[in-house]
Amino acid sequence: MAANQAHNAGMWVFPRAEEVSGDMAAKSRAMPRPMVAAITVSAILLVLGIIGFVARAVDDGFTDHAPWGYYAAIFSFLLMVTGAAPLVALVFRFTKSHWRRPLSRVSELFALVGILNLLMFIPLMFVLPAINNPGAGEEAMELRRTIWFEVPIGAPHWWDALGVGFLAVLGLAILWLASVPDLAEARLTSGGMRRKFYSLMAGHWFGTKRQWEMQKAGLAVLGAFYFMFLIWVHFIISTDYGQSLIPGWKDSIFPVLYSLTGLQASLGLILIIMFIMRRWGGYQEYIGISLFWSASKILLGLSMLWVYHVFSFMITYWYGRLEVEQDILKYLFTQSYGGMFAANFFFSFVMPFFLLLWNPVRKTAWGPALAGVAVLIGALLFNLRIFVGAFNAGDVYQHALNGVPPAVWPDIWDIFMVVGGLGAAALIYLTGTRIFPLISVWEIKEGAMYQRMGTFIRGEYLILAKPE
Amino acid sequence: MARRPILGLFQDANYAAEAGDALKRAGVDQGDFDFLTDAPYPEGAFGERHERHRLYVFPFLGALVGLTVGIMLTSMTQMAYPLVQGGKPILSLPPMAVITYESTMLSAIIFTIIGIMFESRLPKLKKGLYDTRITEGYIGVLVNTEEEKLSEVSAILSQAGAVDVVRENQDTARA
Amino acid sequence: MQEGTVLPAQQVNRDLLRSILDPPGWFWPVVALLGLIVLVAFGAAGYMINRGLGVTGMNRPVMWAFFLTNFVFWIGISHAGVMLSAILRLSKAEWRRPATRAAEVLTVFSLMTAVLMPLIHTGRPWRTIYWIYTAPFVPYDFARGIWPNVRSPLVWDPSAIFTYLTSSVLFVMVALLPDMAVLRDRTTGIPHRIYGMLAMGWEGNSRQWKFQIIAGILLSALILPVFVSVHSIVSWDFSMTVSVKSWHSTIFAPYFVIGAVHSGVSAVAFVLILLRQVYGWQNYIRHEHIDGLARLLMFVATAWFYFFFMEVIFGFYGREADEIALRSFQFTESPWNIWMMIFVGSTYFLPMAIWLVRPARRNLWIMSIACISVNIGMWLERFLIIIPGLARKQMFTFDWGTFRPSPVEIIIIFATFALVTMLMLLFSRVLPLIPLYDIKEGDILKTEIQIGRRTVPATFRED
Repeated sequence: MAANQAHNAGMWVFPRAEEVSGDMAAKSRAMPRPMVAAITVSAILLVLGIIGFVARAVDDGFTDHAPWGYYAAIFSFLLMVTGAAPLVALVFRFTKSHWRRPLSRVSELFALVGILNLLMFIPLMFVLPAINNPGAGEEAMELRRTIWFEVPIGAPHWWDALGVGFLAVLGLAILWLASVPDLAEARLTSGGMRRKFYSLMAGHWFGTKRQWEMQKAGLAVLGAFYFMFLIWVHFIISTDYGQSLIPGWKDSIFPVLYSLTGLQASLGLILIIMFIMRRWGGYQEYIGISLFWSASKILLGLSMLWVYHVFSFMITYWYGRLEVEQDILKYLFTQSYGGMFAANFFFSFVMPFFLLLWNPVRKTAWGPALAGVAVLIGALLFNLRIFVGAFNAGDVYQHALNGVPPAVWPDIWDIFMVVGGLGAAALIYLTGTRIFPLISVWEIKEGAMYQRMGTFIRGEYLILAKPE
Repeated sequence: MARRPILGLFQDANYAAEAGDALKRAGVDQGDFDFLTDAPYPEGAFGERHERHRLYVFPFLGALVGLTVGIMLTSMTQMAYPLVQGGKPILSLPPMAVITYESTMLSAIIFTIIGIMFESRLPKLKKGLYDTRITEGYIGVLVNTEEEKLSEVSAILSQAGAVDVVRENQDTARA
Repeated sequence: MQEGTVLPAQQVNRDLLRSILDPPGWFWPVVALLGLIVLVAFGAAGYMINRGLGVTGMNRPVMWAFFLTNFVFWIGISHAGVMLSAILRLSKAEWRRPATRAAEVLTVFSLMTAVLMPLIHTGRPWRTIYWIYTAPFVPYDFARGIWPNVRSPLVWDPSAIFTYLTSSVLFVMVALLPDMAVLRDRTTGIPHRIYGMLAMGWEGNSRQWKFQIIAGILLSALILPVFVSVHSIVSWDFSMTVSVKSWHSTIFAPYFVIGAVHSGVSAVAFVLILLRQVYGWQNYIRHEHIDGLARLLMFVATAWFYFFFMEVIFGFYGREADEIALRSFQFTESPWNIWMMIFVGSTYFLPMAIWLVRPARRNLWIMSIACISVNIGMWLERFLIIIPGLARKQMFTFDWGTFRPSPVEIIIIFATFALVTMLMLLFSRVLPLIPLYDIKEGDILKTEIQIGRRTVPATFRED
C-alpha cells in the first residue's frame, strides 16, 4: 500500500548484514574534519578547566568546601549523565526492544568517561567536611546529618570513592563485554597498533555458541549489577555532596529525583548524538525514525516523572511549614536560586513535555533531539542549583539553615572548571569513538534476523520476532 | 435514486480484499463499501480507504475546560472562606494544583470518550445490514449501491469468493 | 515469548463466553456464600453505626486504624489494573492481551470497595452528604458557618478517586463495545436487547475499529497520570502533617504508588490464575503470561524495596530523637517488630526468591503463593505506617496508646475481600473477563520468521 509506506517513511531501516562490518570499520578509522575540530575544541576546553582548577586550588586551597561548589556541580553532572548513559542500552536490551540496537554502543561508550569521574572525584574527597564536628558547641550537632550513622572507617570519603571507582570499572567491563565481538572482527580488518589493541582486547573471541551464550548471560548479570550499583552511587554522592551539606534538609525523595534527572539527561544526550550521527555522520542506514519515536515516549515519561517528584517534595515541605522547610524552599526554589529553578523547571519539564506531547514531533529525529538538548541543560542547572547551593549553605553542623543564604554566582575559574569538565568528557568520548565502532555491529546483524517487512493481505507491515 | 445495502460474507480475509479490489475496478466508490470484522485488522490490510479524523482535538479541548473549571472552583472556594489555616495564604496555589490537575484530567478523559464515540459514529441508532456470522470470524464486505447495480455487485462478491451474499429484504439478523 | 496456537473465532467465542452463556454449576452457591459474608459485614457495620465507634478498637490517639489501612490497601489494588493494562498497551506487549480486561475490572471494583472504607470509618456515613450538600451551591458545613479546612489534603481524595473511578469505568465500557456486540449476536430475548443497547449498534467496520484501537492507546496515556496521582494523594493524607512522626516524608507519594503497583500486579496475576482454573481458560491464560507478569514483578518489587529503603533510612537520617524513638518502636518492640519482619519478608524476600527461578514462575501454585504473600505484606505495610505512628503521636507517655482490632473491624475487613471476589464473579457472569477481540487480533497478527532450522514466533506490527 502506497499510503502505508508513506506513513512509515524512514521509520525502519534494515541495514544489510553483509555490509555492516566493512562500513563500520571504515567509519571508525576515518578522521573527518568536524571530528578533528570537535576534538580540538574539547582539548582546549580541558586545558581551560585545568587552569581553572589550579587557580582555584592556589587561591582557596582544599580546607574549605564553599569555593568548590561549581566544581562539585560539574562533577555531579558528569557522573549523573555519563553514569546513567550505559543503563539505557542495558535496560532496553533487557526488555528485548529491537529499536534500541543502533544506540547500544553510543550509550555504553560513556563508560569510558567513568575514569574521568573517578579522577575528578579525588579533589572532592579533601573538601568534604568531616562528619564529626571538630568544635561541637551547645547549639551545633556532634555528628552532622549523613547516611553514615555510626561513621564506619573511611566514611564518607573512601566509601564514595570506592563507589565511583567500582562503577567505572563495572561500566568498562560492560563496554568490553558488549563490544568484544566487534573488536574481534575489527582485529581482522585493521593493522598496526590498532590490530595489536584489538587482539589484546578480543583475541580469545571466535564467536562459538558457548561464547555467545556466556556473553549474553554476562551482560544480563553485569547489567543488573550496574543498575543497582548506579542507584547506590547516585544515592551516596547526592546525599554526601548535596543534601547533607544543607543543614536541616531532610528529603527522602532527593536521591530518587537525582537518579531520575540522570536517566532523563542521559537519554536526552544519547538522542542528541543519534541525531548528529544520522544527520551529519552518515549513519542514516542504521538509525530509523522508530528509534527516536520509541525513545521519545520514554523521555516524555521521564520528564513527567521528574516534575512529579519535584512536586512531591515541594508540596510536602510547603504543607509542613516548619521554619527550616520554608527556608529550604526559599533557598533552593523560590528566592536565592529561584531564577535557576525556574529555568531548570522549564528545561527539564515544560519544554520536553510540550515538544514531545505531539506525536508528529515524536516521529521526527529533530524533535526528540531538541528535547534532549533541553533536558541536558535542565540537568546541568539542577546540579548547579543543588550543589552550589549545598556547598554554600553555611555551617554544616547546625540543626537548620540560618536564614536564607544568598545565591553564589560563578567567578572566572568556576566557569573554566565547568567548561573544562564538559570538554574533558567530550574529549574522552570522541577519542573512544575512533577506537570502538559507534554502532554495535553484532546487534545490528542480530536484529536483521528478527525484523523485516512483510505483506499481510494488502498492506506492508513490519514483522517483529522476539527470541526467548 | 434509492441506494440499498448488500453484504458479502467471506471466510478468508484475502478473498474479502479481493472483493474490495474488484469493487474498485467495477467503479464502486471507496466510500461506498466497508469491511466488517470481529477483530481489528491492521489499517490498510484490505486496501480500504484512509479514515480522517480530529480525535486529538478532543482531549486538548477537554483539558482546557477542566483546567478552567478547576482553577475557578479552587480559587473561588478559597476566596469565599477567607480563614487562615496553619499560616497558609488565603489563596494558596499548591492545594489548588492537585484538584485542578484532577479536574483537567477528568475533563480531558470525558471529552476523549465523547470524541471516540463521535468519531466512531456511535451510538448507531439506525439499524444497518448486518449478519451475526461476522462475530464468528466471517468478514463482511458491506456495499451501498444503487438499486439497479445490486445484482452486479452481488455477482462481484460471489465471484470473489463470498460464502453468502445477504440483501436487505432477506430475513437476516441485524445490528 | 508467544506460545499457544491460533484458535478459530468460533472457539474463542465459545471458550471465553462460557462463563456467561454456560455458567458452571458452582457459580450461584459460591456467589451466595460470598453474599452472605458481605451481609454479615453489613450487619456488623449497622451494629457499629447503632452503637458508635466505641465498638471498634479505635481509640485516642489511634483514630485511624483497620478501616483506613484497608482503604489504602484497596486503592493500591486498584492501581494494578489500569496501570498494567495502560503500560502494556502503550509498550505493545503481546502478552498483555488476556490480562487487560480483568485488570481494569479489578480496578473498578477495588476502588468501589475502597470508597466504602472511609464512609464506614466516619461512623455516621449519611453525614458525608453534608460535605457535598448544596443549599444552593454551598456545602452544608459552610452554610452552617463551620468553616472546614478547604486546603486540607483530605479534600483531594474524593476528587482523585472520583476522577479515577469515572475514567476507569469509561475505559472499561469503551473497550467492552465490541464484546457486547458478540454477546448481542449470541443471545436472544431480553439479554439480546440489553447487550444490543450496550453495544450501541457496533458492527465492526474499519472506522469503528480504528477508533477502538486509538481509544485504547489514548485513554491509556491519559489514565496513567491519573493513576499516579490517586495513590500519591492518598499518601499525602499522611505525609502533609508534621505531627505524626514517620509520616512527614517527601518520598511518600512515589513510595505508595510503587507499593500499589506491586500489590496490584500481584493481585492481577492471582486473579488470572484463578480464572484459568475455574473457567478452563488454559488456551488463553498461559504460563508465558504469568511468567511475563512475574518478570515485571521482579522489577517492581525491587523498585519498591529501594523506595522502602529510602523511606526508612531517611527516617533515621534526621537524627531527631522523637523520630528515632518511633522507628525503634516500629523495628524493635513486640509485636511491631514481628509484624515488620513478616511484612518485609512476605513483600520482598519470599516472592523474589520464587520469581528468580523460572520453573517456579511457571508453576501456578507457587506463583499463587508469591502473589498472596505480596498482598499480605502490602496490607501489613499500610498497617505499620498508620498505627505505630499514631500510637506514639503525643510527646507524653500518658497519651500513648495502642490498637487491638475488634471483631466488628475484622468482619468488615474480611468481607471486603468477599465483596470484590463476588463482584468479579458477577461481572464474569454477564460480561467477558478476557477481551475477545484482543485475543482474536493477536491470533490474526501472529506469524513466524524462519532462521536457519529454527522457527521464531513473530507478529505483524503497524508501527
